[in-house]
Amino acid sequence: MAIADTQVPVAGGETTYLEAIRQAMFEEMERDPSVFLIGEDVGVYGGAFKTSAGLIERFGAERVIDTPISEAAIVGAAAGAALMGMRPIAEMQFIDFIGCAFNQLTNFAATARYRNGNGCPIVVRGPAGGGVHGGPFHSLNPESFFLNTPGLKIVAPGTAYDAKGLLKAAIRDEDPVIYIEHKFLYRRIKETLPAEDFVVPIGKAAVRREGKDLTIITFGAMIYVAEDAAKELEADGVSVEIIDMRSLLPFDEETMLSSVAKTSRVIILHEATLTGGIGGEFAARIADKAFEYLDAPIKRVAAIDTPVPYSPPLEAFFLPNKDKVIAAARELLDY
Amino acid sequence: MTEQVTAVAPPTSLTHEELRQIAYFLRLTRSLEERIVSLFRQSKVIGGIYRSLGQEGESIASAFALDFSRGDVVAPLIRNMGSMIVAGATPVEILRQYMAKGDGPSRGRDLNIHFTDLEKGYIGPISMLGDMVPVMAGIVLAGRMKKKNLVGMVYIGDGASSTGAFAEGINFATVQRLPLVIVIEDNGYAYSTPTYRQTAARTLADKAVGYGCAGETVDGNDVLATHEAAKRAVDRARSGGGVTLLEVKTFRMKGHAEHDNQSYVPKEVIDEWGQRDPIEKFERQLIEWNVATTDDLAGIQKRVKQELDAAVTEAESSPMPKPEEALLGVYHGDGFWERRS
Amino acid sequence: MPTDVVMPQMGESIAEGTVIRWMKKVGDKVERDEPMFEISTDKVDAEIPAPASGILTEILAAEGATVAVNSVVARLSGEGEAPVPAGAPAGAPAAAPPQSSTASATAPAEPPAKTAVPAAAATPASPQAGANAAMASDVSQEASGVSPSDATPVAKTPVPPKAAQTSTEKTTSTDASSQEDSGNVAALDERRRTKSSPVVRKIASENDIDITQISGSGISGRVTKKDILDYMEAPQAAEQEHAQQPAVAPGSRPAVSPMSFKPGENVRIEPMSVMRKRIAHHMIVSKQTSAHVTTLFEVDFTNIDKLRKRYKEHYAERGAKLTYLPFIVQALVSGLREYPILNSSIDGESIVYRKDLNIGIAVALDWGLIVPVVKNADEKNILGLAKTINDLGERARTKKLSPDEVQGGTFTITNPGIYGGLFGTPIINQPQVAILGVGGVKKRAVVIETDNGDAIVIRSMCYLALTFDHRIIDGALADQFMAKVKVAIEKGQFTL
Repeated sequence: MAIADTQVPVAGGETTYLEAIRQAMFEEMERDPSVFLIGEDVGVYGGAFKTSAGLIERFGAERVIDTPISEAAIVGAAAGAALMGMRPIAEMQFIDFIGCAFNQLTNFAATARYRNGNGCPIVVRGPAGGGVHGGPFHSLNPESFFLNTPGLKIVAPGTAYDAKGLLKAAIRDEDPVIYIEHKFLYRRIKETLPAEDFVVPIGKAAVRREGKDLTIITFGAMIYVAEDAAKELEADGVSVEIIDMRSLLPFDEETMLSSVAKTSRVIILHEATLTGGIGGEFAARIADKAFEYLDAPIKRVAAIDTPVPYSPPLEAFFLPNKDKVIAAARELLDY
Repeated sequence: MTEQVTAVAPPTSLTHEELRQIAYFLRLTRSLEERIVSLFRQSKVIGGIYRSLGQEGESIASAFALDFSRGDVVAPLIRNMGSMIVAGATPVEILRQYMAKGDGPSRGRDLNIHFTDLEKGYIGPISMLGDMVPVMAGIVLAGRMKKKNLVGMVYIGDGASSTGAFAEGINFATVQRLPLVIVIEDNGYAYSTPTYRQTAARTLADKAVGYGCAGETVDGNDVLATHEAAKRAVDRARSGGGVTLLEVKTFRMKGHAEHDNQSYVPKEVIDEWGQRDPIEKFERQLIEWNVATTDDLAGIQKRVKQELDAAVTEAESSPMPKPEEALLGVYHGDGFWERRS
Repeated sequence: MPTDVVMPQMGESIAEGTVIRWMKKVGDKVERDEPMFEISTDKVDAEIPAPASGILTEILAAEGATVAVNSVVARLSGEGEAPVPAGAPAGAPAAAPPQSSTASATAPAEPPAKTAVPAAAATPASPQAGANAAMASDVSQEASGVSPSDATPVAKTPVPPKAAQTSTEKTTSTDASSQEDSGNVAALDERRRTKSSPVVRKIASENDIDITQISGSGISGRVTKKDILDYMEAPQAAEQEHAQQPAVAPGSRPAVSPMSFKPGENVRIEPMSVMRKRIAHHMIVSKQTSAHVTTLFEVDFTNIDKLRKRYKEHYAERGAKLTYLPFIVQALVSGLREYPILNSSIDGESIVYRKDLNIGIAVALDWGLIVPVVKNADEKNILGLAKTINDLGERARTKKLSPDEVQGGTFTITNPGIYGGLFGTPIINQPQVAILGVGGVKKRAVVIETDNGDAIVIRSMCYLALTFDHRIIDGALADQFMAKVKVAIEKGQFTL
């Protein structure tokens, strides 16, 4: 691919997940002069994955800032600028590096409003997820590190439509948002998007597939695993409902609980490792508020409790897949 | 006030009025902290008290070099109450904050002088030292994006200059040539760690060389010298010259906090620095320069006392926050902060 | 050690039961779960299975005897396999734990309001087609008229949990660990069989079903949600299929005192279906509970006709059949907002105003009557109402309603005009306090007053009959309400 696709994006038509992100940033920066992008290699290089190709040509170096390798400074400076009324998008080249900015995010940005009424409207975005032979430091799913931090919001789109709509919503949101984009989906997912401006509201799930025998609660790249599993189960006469959470904090409890009330059986599927993963929070909520509707225990399908391995057979064993989902489904159906 | 033939003109660009104002700020800061200690011993103030005894001079002198009417912003740490007073923080709001009152600046959510008023020009810190350097870099970056010619001043201590956040912040600010003055206060100790165990650098200002920004060291207990050095740094920043790392040498006259008796500091050292109290020195100079008489200075202390008496009474009568309020103001939209009267 | 056999509580308001027939006699060997005796109660008749295996040593309640719930009616001797739970004295107290541990029917741990709250509380006579949960909510409110002392809604027998306790006893014994292990497994199997899952317990409790009477297809023989829903669809078949022992005669039919017929009389005797019995019971109880008065209003539906004509196609394209009902419901909503007492219930000497406007729409089925509920009707526009009503009606006819959809109604509409009737005098659907009967919409010649004098014109007219409970609603108020509804229909602005 050319060093930088400096084309100004044209909205509408078939759009990849990656291009949807690029379009969202472009359009928001056009719409609102207080929006700017800050991160490593985001300007001249157009971003390690080309998510910001063409931005610096259009908006200049003042609004597309190439930084030293300094995640704490990137997020800290973004937070400071946000306090002054700007709307920064801070990119973590790989979301794995967000650990270096953990303190700025959780202790400064997340608490600024609560402590002093200073809203901190930053977006911290970066590519997450495995399945690309990235190994232990380039495959992270970080949501649960931040879930336990009131003051933050977390979103994780799985479709191109949601990638664009949620990024716009995150940029426009008055509070700090962690936007988790999945690198596996960047070029593999395409969708026809509307040409007009649209926003996907934070905190609303989407029903990807309707069904009545079993609910799968999931998000991110796992929605496609769920879909594959559902198709195979359908051949056996099992009707599966898939709920794509899209937002993880806050999350759409109502849609989740209605689905469970309907089917009485639920699998929570996420790519992050099992113990301490967000599935535990979802499961507790379901057990608390939809207990009377359960016809079987709540099941979670997630990556095994290890760091992310590199070698393909190891990674394949590590990650959730269609067969693991189907096995869990069978357990529930036989219960 | 009579002019004496042998009067010496003060070696500063500050006017007499400004010098007297600094004298007032100095006394106000010290006396306010003393009041807070007293209230703490009456359990009216809770939590920890971190005095800036001995450092009031450099805090006020440096902050005084900023121009808050132009939108300048200062980021104090816990021993920089003086800088907030210069920016316009009032004793009653500081007292309310310390007393955890519901109508304090942070409505009971944070303690100490951790509060923010960007209109006046100060931003409260978080406890993780060094973090405010990147944040202030962002603040002045935004100022530049908005085409305001504002300057930022952020304080850190000898201890904080060891943190990664400081390193990333000063590096980023320097590379971006941001209008930022980083005042690094070497007050001898980071809690119980003396500076020579904190860093092997000859002086803290030497770190500027590594980052490529201007660096200067000044006697923090000399109010005027500190002010002049700060002014140089502020002017450099405002004219596009970028970052200055201004090391002020001073001494922490009390322990890290009220609960710390400083037993790790040799008594001679404390005594020696006691001879160099910045306020006493400054007041002597004002008399010498005929900027103020002893009556004037006594008048300032009296005025300060009255002001603080009134402020304490007022703050004491403030209500504590309602317990249920704890749930509010986490995210935008519930109107909690907008409702603040 | 002997095991007590007790009179079970078949419904939350049931206080006693009558022993109709003993299927075993003293000295007989009894297997656990084998039917031992048959009882009759106010709500339901049933065969009661043995709580443990043993020999029937004592019968304390003879056939025909009526005894209090939980009292001991017989004793079984242990054969070393069914010790009495440690610390549990023989008699009533021993029976108490089973009460609360009968997962088959006790879904809510806390006693539901013994008031007119149509919650997921206790239930009518017998399991039925799933659709009948509606009746469930109604009948649960016989509590409002009957005894206030009802506690946990336990449906049927507590017997299996005793066995559960038995297994538990086993596992806490100091026997060899292997026995403990198998005891643990037995306890788990037992729990699955008797407690199943939360949703099954809920359905069982709402429909007064004993899940131990159903054969389960889940693990450990657990009754699954599908099992119980299937059971409710076809109870006759299910009862026979799940007959405990082949030896049991078709004694599942409750004994009813037979009428005597003179020889040669030309009659056909047909036992009532369970649904029919429930409807019969509900109707008579309603009449005995409320002070029924019906007021009749003549309403001009021409306005609605015009709207329907104009929007019928448009709505059909959007998958909704536009009938009169959505308009009537919206008019009702405006009336109920202004006269909220029509949307209330009576609890003892209090009036419970319900904030939700859940309008039930009675649907006539081949096999009976069901009332699916449009929840929060005030939050829907005409399109939303049309779609919801169409959908509920369709699923009512195809038996695809969920229990939740036939519960929680606060006001009911019925349609006596559907076959051409002029108007009806409907019976109130307890625990509500009013019901609207919609007559046929017919073109009639009516007199209208104009500036140029009186004229006879053709208008679509309909009689709306409101039956209300005169205990709390006086005629004047009922008429004011109806006047408001009439105005809403005749002149209302409906957003389509």
